[in-house]
Amino acid sequence: MPLDYPIHRRTLPNGLRVVVSPDHTVPNVTVNLWVGVGSRHEQAGRTGFAHLFEHLMFQGSRQVRSGEHFEALMAEGGRLNATTWFDRTNYFETVPTGALELALWLEADRHGHLLDAVSQENLDNQRDVVKEEKRQRYDNQPYGNALIDVYAAVFPEGHPYHHPTIGSMEDLDAASLEDVHAFFRRHYAPDNTVLTLCGDIDPDTGFALVERYFGDLDARVQDPRPPLAQLEPLTDPVRVERREAVPNDRLHVAFRLPVDESDELVAATVALDCLGGLSSSRLVRRLVRREQTAVGVHATAWGFVDGVSLGFVVLDVAPGSDPADLEAALVEELERLAAEGPTEAELEASVAQSERAWLSALASQEERADLLSRYTLLHDDPDVVNTHLDRVRAVTADDVVAATRRWLDPRSRAVVAYLVPDAADEEAVA
Amino acid sequence: MTRPVVAPPAPWSFPAATEHVLPNGLRVLLHDLPGQYVLSMRAVVPTSLATEDREVEGVSSMMARLLDEGTQEHDPEEFAELLERHGMAIGAGVSDGGLLVDVDVPQSHLGTAAHLVTAALATPVFPEDEVRRILRSRLAEIEQERASAAHRAAREVARTLWADTDRASRPTAGTVETVSAITRDHLVERHARTVGPRGATLVLAGDLTGLPVLDLLTDSLGAWEAPDHVPPPAALAPVPAADRARVVVVDRPGAVQTEIVVACPGPDRSTPHGWAPHPVASFVVGGSPGARLDAVLREEKGYTYGVRAAFRPRVAGGSFVTSGSVRSEVTGEAVEILLGILDGARDGFTATELRTGVDFVGKTAPGRYATADAVADETAALALEGLPLDFTTRNLAAVAALTLEDLDAAYRRTATGEWTVVLVGDAASVVPALEGRVPGPVTTVGR
Repeated sequence: MPLDYPIHRRTLPNGLRVVVSPDHTVPNVTVNLWVGVGSRHEQAGRTGFAHLFEHLMFQGSRQVRSGEHFEALMAEGGRLNATTWFDRTNYFETVPTGALELALWLEADRHGHLLDAVSQENLDNQRDVVKEEKRQRYDNQPYGNALIDVYAAVFPEGHPYHHPTIGSMEDLDAASLEDVHAFFRRHYAPDNTVLTLCGDIDPDTGFALVERYFGDLDARVQDPRPPLAQLEPLTDPVRVERREAVPNDRLHVAFRLPVDESDELVAATVALDCLGGLSSSRLVRRLVRREQTAVGVHATAWGFVDGVSLGFVVLDVAPGSDPADLEAALVEELERLAAEGPTEAELEASVAQSERAWLSALASQEERADLLSRYTLLHDDPDVVNTHLDRVRAVTADDVVAATRRWLDPRSRAVVAYLVPDAADEEAVA
Repeated sequence: MTRPVVAPPAPWSFPAATEHVLPNGLRVLLHDLPGQYVLSMRAVVPTSLATEDREVEGVSSMMARLLDEGTQEHDPEEFAELLERHGMAIGAGVSDGGLLVDVDVPQSHLGTAAHLVTAALATPVFPEDEVRRILRSRLAEIEQERASAAHRAAREVARTLWADTDRASRPTAGTVETVSAITRDHLVERHARTVGPRGATLVLAGDLTGLPVLDLLTDSLGAWEAPDHVPPPAALAPVPAADRARVVVVDRPGAVQTEIVVACPGPDRSTPHGWAPHPVASFVVGGSPGARLDAVLREEKGYTYGVRAAFRPRVAGGSFVTSGSVRSEVTGEAVEILLGILDGARDGFTATELRTGVDFVGKTAPGRYATADAVADETAALALEGLPLDFTTRNLAAVAALTLEDLDAAYRRTATGEWTVVLVGDAASVVPALEGRVPGPVTTVGR
């Protein structure tokens, strides 16, 4: 049975898609915008630009001085931020109902008129801030660059998902004011944006307010290319090995998966749950509990829209164990899952955990707004919020077998290994 | 388009709980929150880390991690499977004030959840195999913490800020030496002595419509007995180290950034001076990109992704901690600026800062406490800290009434200028760069 969160949608003449989902339990409204631009749209030599650009959106616009967006909303009890991902950039704030119009005014000013205020000084400053973000979250963290290696190993050179959202230091250095202007003109437009209001607001009032503040923004003729064709699984295993000062050996075993919002991706996600996504998963039972050769096993699937998604299993190798043995065990369990399928208990656990996670996400007004924007922008269907769980519940053991055979074939794996340096190597260096 | 005027928010108060006592003395606090379909359950058992034997410190944390790894009724794999098939997520951990078991569960599985939590609290069996496994994973975790600059810094701060004789100066979950010394007997004994319903509280928040909550809880947690349970002694604030005002550099040769942490002792939430000024002060100093620290270090200089300041109340006592990371080559200047801002705030805040901070803390409250999870967490914290259930609402009223004098006085009481400074970074370049920029002695320690 589908959930029944109320969803109202309308498209303004300039192409802005607006979703309103009333919920009067708390005197707050979440304003959430998804812009259809992420790192997958970046050009060679300008990786990391979508994210750097997101930072500039807080540095002032036509009627708003640098830093004022944060200050003005926080002083009214707003909690806000923005993030950049492969397929999109999102901007969001949750404000007391009385501050909703201020939030819309601030958002409309930067989404419509950012370029009036962009300066070389702001660009240089935020470039430095983003480089510190990269150092803090990637370069100065154990295994911090492992997923970047995964993207490069799984997706071919030049593919939209081959490079990470954070980009490279060289490309960040190369970003110019002209790039900022061109990027804004190309991607930031009402007809490439979804705006969701979730919370203490009625649909008519919500639509009228959005029209008042965003109605004047100009549509820009766009000719987005259609999504790329589905990328087939890797035909031969790929291997990347790094020896670094990490606390223990860690393997990332990654696969190409079917695109977001396909039945096959839902089935492949259940397959990854059975393998390593739950604490009762077969790899957890075998490697963590029984053989105790791993200190942790995790599995994840990320849905993307441009022709392929990503799935990966992370194996944290226990001290004294051989990573090759863990990889062999993973291959064996993949083959067993493909041959025998999941048990009734595994299926039931996967569905029950998906249900709790989904309902927990929807319990928060902020996350509900974010999901409504997501499914509107990427799939033109906000109602997925209400129907997603039915799709998960419909997955059968046969679906899991089929998805495992097609997408999780051991020959299609990419392995990124971060290994503790050999004692012999260390002596040689010393 | 002209800038719209903001309408003032309606009055708001923290969701009220109903209070009950089960036959075994367990206190129950219920928050009925319509529309919150995943229920959040928190079991809070006050315990004292100070009663751990010095040789086996971390035994409480290891005991907590083993609660769901096998009970009299279910072996560890069965238990994990039961939890997951009923949509539950469970976690258990220990802080300075007690054991906290947290469970999220969809409405329809509350009965099962209550039984499984009861089993975990009352009848864990600590299978030898699982004990060995959990202790080994703690040893691996210690290595992972050592490799993370932020964790490594936190450990050095505890060691430098608090007196050697105080439990707070050492890791809650134990060290390689103490964890290696823990046996199954220690865990069984620790569980029997410290985990029981007396003095404990069960918090349940979410949409309770149509659920026979008290019957379900009485049949499960109400039957929890712990004959050997000894309630803990009253919590004491940690004793600060006499020589805490100094700089310690943890050497990470070649690090591209330096993790900076600056700390001093601070109050807990029952401070007789009132808690209200503290979240306002930390917001103004280091709670946003426009706050004093980031206005200079991030927005003007571009040295950091962000520096945050926060009061961290414990059940008794606490600390005021500022942290962030900067690229290695600007470490000396960044530390000097950072300490200058922290010290300069002793000269007083502005009326605009007061208003902004008061509005942020007060007006964000309805949204910060909008989910079952957040409400359950706050009520569990109140239970652990021994604070009255109207604390949150009364504190918000006190925040609204705050004056500049209150704010300045609260900051000056804590920020005396005697800072513990820990820097995790490349000592060869960092130490020379500190010369003339920091007060007190500088020492360097290994990884």
